[in-house]
Amino acid sequence: MPIDISKLSSRHLLEIDACTRCGECLNSCPVYAEREDEGFNPRGKIQNLKKFIRGQYGLWARIFGPKKLNEEDIIALSEKIFRCTLCGACDIACPVLINPKDLSIAIRETMVEMGHYPKAAENVKKNLLSDHNISADDNEDRAEWVEDLVEIPEHGFQKDKAEVIYFVGCVSSFFPMVQKIPQNFVQIMVKGGVDFTILGEGEWCCGFPLIGAGMSRELEKLKVHNVDKIKEVGAKSVVFSCPSCYRTWKELYKTDVGLLHSSHLLEQLVKEKKIPLKELNLTVTYHDPCDLGRNSGVYEPPREVLKMIPGVKLVELENNREKTVCCGGGGNIEMVDPELSAGIAKKKINEIHNTGSDIIVTSCQQCVRTISTRARKQGIKLKVMDVTEIVMMAMK
Amino acid sequence: MEKTLITYSFFILTVLIFFWGLWFRMSMYLLGSVEGAEDAGKWKTFTILWGRVWRSFWSKPLWYSKAIAIDVIFHKKLFGQSFYRWLAHTLIVWGIIVVVAVHIIKLLSTFCLAGLNREIPLFSFAHAFETGTFCHFLEFLISAFGIITLIGCLMSIVRRFFLRPDQLLTEEEDIISLFFILFLVISGFIAQGLLIAIPDVVSAHDYMGGFTENWVNYWMGATTGFLNKITLMETLQSRPEVFWYVHIIPGLIWFVYLPHSKLLHIFTSAATVVANKIKE
Repeated sequence: MPIDISKLSSRHLLEIDACTRCGECLNSCPVYAEREDEGFNPRGKIQNLKKFIRGQYGLWARIFGPKKLNEEDIIALSEKIFRCTLCGACDIACPVLINPKDLSIAIRETMVEMGHYPKAAENVKKNLLSDHNISADDNEDRAEWVEDLVEIPEHGFQKDKAEVIYFVGCVSSFFPMVQKIPQNFVQIMVKGGVDFTILGEGEWCCGFPLIGAGMSRELEKLKVHNVDKIKEVGAKSVVFSCPSCYRTWKELYKTDVGLLHSSHLLEQLVKEKKIPLKELNLTVTYHDPCDLGRNSGVYEPPREVLKMIPGVKLVELENNREKTVCCGGGGNIEMVDPELSAGIAKKKINEIHNTGSDIIVTSCQQCVRTISTRARKQGIKLKVMDVTEIVMMAMK
Repeated sequence: MEKTLITYSFFILTVLIFFWGLWFRMSMYLLGSVEGAEDAGKWKTFTILWGRVWRSFWSKPLWYSKAIAIDVIFHKKLFGQSFYRWLAHTLIVWGIIVVVAVHIIKLLSTFCLAGLNREIPLFSFAHAFETGTFCHFLEFLISAFGIITLIGCLMSIVRRFFLRPDQLLTEEEDIISLFFILFLVISGFIAQGLLIAIPDVVSAHDYMGGFTENWVNYWMGATTGFLNKITLMETLQSRPEVFWYVHIIPGLIWFVYLPHSKLLHIFTSAATVVANKIKE
């Protein structure tokens, strides 16, 4: 079966050709730092694909006929293509503004069309389309985390009409380790007088994992459902504590409502003094989640929140803002290759350690999970917090 | 004149093959999907894309011009990443651009216009391009930017084969591209030097550079004079035009090779920058 390049866009094909193998992307690729194999870095992936495309559609192929594709080479390419955190560091590094991250997603889609993709990707699709969440949990239990709160209003934060919808996201809803994020955030919003609701079982996965699985064509059903729910509630804005949900809505959902990350809302509430903050005597460092920082351009709101908490000293990581290094939790690699994910997280923990701070704060449930899990397994005492948690801490 | 005509005919053929090569590569990109051009043929898709680029540019001409100046012409990102690499790249790029541009000006002025003036005396002004002060200026540009290209090539060779940074991957294509340019520059200098060292060639108008005034590049003549003593210059003295062809034929082959090599990034990288800016 030939590589059907019509699945790639003209722009992607141009980018594949424009790569001069300069290698600037190598220094920023967390997967390459871990595997040190040319095939795992963006340059290697692009060059391998270029080889296939030229073999099928290049000058020699036109004169002498297309080169027969070696199945083993395609499988090897697929394995490497699905081992990318989609962190976007290579996009920043490329001197000719190629977007290897988008290219990686497009190549994953081509690989899915060709039937060469990891079983984990198939599970993602199955879970999302049948159970409407990433973990194949019963979607009716989406708001179960509310039950652990001390003060629960009668409506359980699920109202028919509200100004703001809090889109909780699958990981924060179903993974106990990070359920404190929505628990803290709803309490902050109550204190700040925000008229909000959650959707409970009416919330379906935003579809972000399907993008990483190379199956974004399946996302439409989820998108239509979620947008309809927003219309039903009549909300003016949607707030997300998950950067990936936030980014997916921003880039792929066609909706007129305002889209905010929790750090935007927290910044607003703190600035307007709607939530009182007491002094905390802490030195913290901040990790920019890839989907919030580099991929959505939100760097300052979480930092502003931290700076506004009295007594909090913010120490920057060596690689911060657009140069931040992924924690290892992106691109579905935790499902495809947990060992690789752990290796990347280990490097991140070392970087955090070098700052000498007591706490690492981030704005992403997946980063909290990945860094906490790895630190625990390494026996390193490291307090990992979401920005909502430190604000909650300062409110008490 | 017949030799000249043959050479220029080959030049025109080369240009045609070069543009065919560009279209061949571009038509490969057009096999990909383009939103809003799902059922269109390649040419139609190309016109749709070009229309988008055109409209985007004219919606914010200053913004795009600035972006092109900073990211394409100046290579801002590369400058921030490695000054050495940026310098080598810039010297090669600008060296080649100016040398090729001046060659084209010389081609048009000395052959098309001055040549035509000998038959139909309507383009007497072109004589200044052939032998006048402007001709000396053009010759100076070719020599100066030839040296610039040479320095860029040598810097690239030092980086690729001696400094060898970890991120660098040297493949056949890199070696061919680099040494092809180096060969063209060096052979160009030797051809020019021979032209100065062997005045008979000039008077015979045997090859394209035959219109150069001797004093312009006399210092290069000294170099070739040295070469005269150490190489088989007797052969070259009897058939000096041979070296011109040693320079010009690979030069034409280089043009044909360009769209099928990594050197195509001259065009594709500029296009990715513009595409990225449109996306922004």
